[in-house]
Amino acid sequence: MTPANGGYAVAAYVIAAVLYVGYAAWLLRRGAKS
Amino acid sequence: MTPIEQAQRALERSRILTLIALGLLGTVYVRAIWFTPVEAIQGPAQKIFYIHAPSAWSAFLAVVVVGLCSVLYLMLRDARIDRLAASSAEVGTVFTTAVLITGPIWGKPIWGAWWTWDARLTSTLFLWFILVGYLVLRSAVREPRQRARFAAVLGILGMLLVPFIHLSVKMFRTLHPQPVVMNPEGPTLPGQMLATLLFSFAVFTVLYAGLTWQRYAQSALEDARGDARAEGAR
Repeated sequence: MTPANGGYAVAAYVIAAVLYVGYAAWLLRRGAKS
Repeated sequence: MTPIEQAQRALERSRILTLIALGLLGTVYVRAIWFTPVEAIQGPAQKIFYIHAPSAWSAFLAVVVVGLCSVLYLMLRDARIDRLAASSAEVGTVFTTAVLITGPIWGKPIWGAWWTWDARLTSTLFLWFILVGYLVLRSAVREPRQRARFAAVLGILGMLLVPFIHLSVKMFRTLHPQPVVMNPEGPTLPGQMLATLLFSFAVFTVLYAGLTWQRYAQSALEDARGDARAEGAR
């Protein structure tokens, strides 16, 4: 039976998205100010 | 065109590439979550692999760029090369952080432990320390040429760690899975999973390029404005 561990995948995907989109947004905002 | 205008144009173009890369990252999520089969033994947690491995690829790419730029800087003493190394190091720190976060989230359901001090995990953590140390060093040294020289030495040391990290799963007994794409026997993943993984590798490469270019263009603009102010003060 396939294990039910989707919560870990969701957590990893959400954290990675926060990291990448957050960093990109910080860069874009910094670029827009300069 | 003045150096300030050149940097502003590069900043606008890099912004477009970064936005395209973020859009593509969204398509990786959609493809990996809804259009790639669930692995029978590991379950949905295996899907972490589609962001973990490409993050590691981009982190290594970033560190190799830092190392090569560092070697070139020590030979040519060109500030643009140092600027590229610094930009790549900052972006590489973000990718390495993602690797170190997503890896343990996969490890917990599959290994039963968040972390184990095996060669692959420990050497990746050391790489993160080197990258953070690189950024701290750059912020601590004021004189630009001295800063670039010191940072270049650390950048080369970071690059030397990359082949060791890649081969660590072959050289040592480790819990970490063996490579499924870059191995001598060829890819060992089923077709649909391999397609998602390769697509993700391509997108993460574009994301690395967009973020690094964006960071580089910002530094170039700051330096160009600083030079213009210095000229005006003379």
